Amino acid sequence: MQLLIEAIGFGIASGAVIALGAVGFSVQFGMSNVLNITYGALMTLGAYIGLFLIDRGISPWAALAIAGVVVGAASVAFNRGLLAPLVRRGTRAFAIVIVTVSAGVVLQYVIVVFAGPDAKSYGEQSGQTFHLLGMVLTASEVTIVVLAAALMLGLHLLLTRTTLGRAMRATASNRILAQSCGIATDRISDIAWMLSGMLCGAAGVALAITTVSFDFSLGAVFLIPMIAAAVLGGIGQPYGAMVGGLVVGVASELAAAFTNPAYREVVAFGILIVMLLVRPHGLFGAAWATRRLMA
Amino acid sequence: MGIHRWRLASPLALATALVLVACGGSQGATPPTQTGALNLGVIAPFTGPAAEFGTLLTAPCLAATDLINASGGVLGHQVNCTSIDDTGDPADAVPNVTRAIATTSNFDFAIGLESNTAATTVPLVNNAKIPFFTTNGLVSFTKNNFPYYYRVTPGDDANGAAFAVWAVQQGYKNAAIVFQNNIGSEGNLPGLNAAMPKLGGKVGINLTIPADSASYSSEVARVIAAKPDVLIWSADPQTTATFLANYKSLNNGVLPPMVTATDSLTPDFFNAVTKVVGVDYVTKQIWLVGSYFDQTTPAFNTYKNALLADAKTKDIAPVLSTVGPPAGAYDGINIMALAMIMAKTTVGSYYNSYILQVVSPKSGATVVGNYADGKAALAAGKSIQYVGVLGKPAFDQYHNSAGEFDANKFNADGSATQVGTISGSQVLQLLG
Repeated sequence: MQLLIEAIGFGIASGAVIALGAVGFSVQFGMSNVLNITYGALMTLGAYIGLFLIDRGISPWAALAIAGVVVGAASVAFNRGLLAPLVRRGTRAFAIVIVTVSAGVVLQYVIVVFAGPDAKSYGEQSGQTFHLLGMVLTASEVTIVVLAAALMLGLHLLLTRTTLGRAMRATASNRILAQSCGIATDRISDIAWMLSGMLCGAAGVALAITTVSFDFSLGAVFLIPMIAAAVLGGIGQPYGAMVGGLVVGVASELAAAFTNPAYREVVAFGILIVMLLVRPHGLFGAAWATRRLMA
Repeated sequence: MGIHRWRLASPLALATALVLVACGGSQGATPPTQTGALNLGVIAPFTGPAAEFGTLLTAPCLAATDLINASGGVLGHQVNCTSIDDTGDPADAVPNVTRAIATTSNFDFAIGLESNTAATTVPLVNNAKIPFFTTNGLVSFTKNNFPYYYRVTPGDDANGAAFAVWAVQQGYKNAAIVFQNNIGSEGNLPGLNAAMPKLGGKVGINLTIPADSASYSSEVARVIAAKPDVLIWSADPQTTATFLANYKSLNNGVLPPMVTATDSLTPDFFNAVTKVVGVDYVTKQIWLVGSYFDQTTPAFNTYKNALLADAKTKDIAPVLSTVGPPAGAYDGINIMALAMIMAKTTVGSYYNSYILQVVSPKSGATVVGNYADGKAALAAGKSIQYVGVLGKPAFDQYHNSAGEFDANKFNADGSATQVGTISGSQVLQLLG
């Protein structure tokens, strides 16, 4: 029983990081309808920007914020400079996905050129742990869970309580109709890519803090669980991605606690497949779509 | 009658002889010659999570070829180290090695072919009739049918048993075994599981973990619950760092002693782990067990000095020179090069049969510990016995030579010190 509770706690901690990245991925997909595989490499970029800053004495949490902004800007530039022109030229969706795969590989190896291929770390973690309802979490994990929750809440308020949020949802729902209503959809798209990139960069640093040791493959390794979380929640649905992240994180830790840990991801993805068989649009797919049309 | 039979048999015998010659019988035919430099394939991961193996195996190649080239090359040919990236993944290894075999001129010998990909790369290189000294530890090669295969390091099952011997010798009886889920790491398990009970110890928990997870907290919680007094470990540097950091957090800052393989005696491992759990733990509580070799012999000094002399390897020479598999690769290169001289050809299908002659004990043979001495002795018409960095190779019928084991510890600067030895015969008894 104790191990069950502990594993749920560990799952919430790792799920929070997955959720951070998955929400960013989902926001960007919802806005552009592009399956952006470069997202993983951008997350790695965030982790290495964090490393660069922490090595120069900046605190990990300030580094997380700065990396978020830098990756956000890189994300906008990536969309403006590469993806948007391809979309305008009518490039097929599959070809665009391949372009994002290729760009991800290029970015990953650019990082290797500057930082080297060996494992990196932000350094020794503080030994402080917190015990809550039988769960044991490190100080860093608690901070990341709180931070993720705060960012999710902020995103929720942005999407539901502000004009910008309504404009983003309108653009995501029907770009042409939104344009005809006077919404500057290109600007809204930039903001969505910025937001998505910020979450991506923050997730990269959070992931590097959680894993303690990482290398240039960091983002590529965690892209799959993040996409799984986004799909599980209902691709393009930020709230679904939040829940999906937690489900993937908790399922993975429970699998590690009670089965052969070598198959921790197999169990998590097995659950994903079963859930999608039951709800093909994901946990929040249909409900969110209805609500979005009504809003 | 006899004449008639001869007349009948004669064209048949001639035809048979012609067919044999055309089919390329290796012995007795005129050795073929090659032009240009020879390529020594270093078949190892140069990209991906196991990329450090590429560095580890390139270094002995550079050390050996620097010395070979400085002494005039092999039969007048200079030797180049050619990196062949198997990425540690059979899916990449097969096309990459196949392409290298097809396109590399004078590809006459190879080293590497490590555990993650050996099952696919060994048959490829063997079928190309390229002699090779492999560093893989797969138990499946303990008995094999590959005539071009040679291994001078122990199989993984023997390594696993050696881990158990060392842990029990240090007074640890309740072991937690945690291995990464790759073929190289898991190969240690059978020997470890066989040896631990025979030594009076027990395996409290045995976990296989995936590489590079975001967290190993659940696995760590299971290990802590088993209350082990030693962690018997095998995983890449990044996975090790993450696991130990989680362990330290969840166990009030206390880490158990660790026994692992000398495969981890690398700068990458040292740097990754010290950064997250500190130098004190790494230098005092981690033992690295692997092939034993005497580090005071002239052969070792020649090897280490060659590593120190090359700008590309001098920084890792203090650590690398103490690790068994690279030293075995270095010895293997010297042995193959000397076999080429004995065979008077650089072509693998011809010189392969001379490899055992280079190392076999013979009365009146000149014992040599490096290529230059061997070459000079052969030029003087003497017979030789190569006794290299790893000592005297004693190949069995499957071209495996295991030897003794030792335990090492890291020093604060990342170099290593031998702290004890483990009898090879004891290890083999435990496996029996």
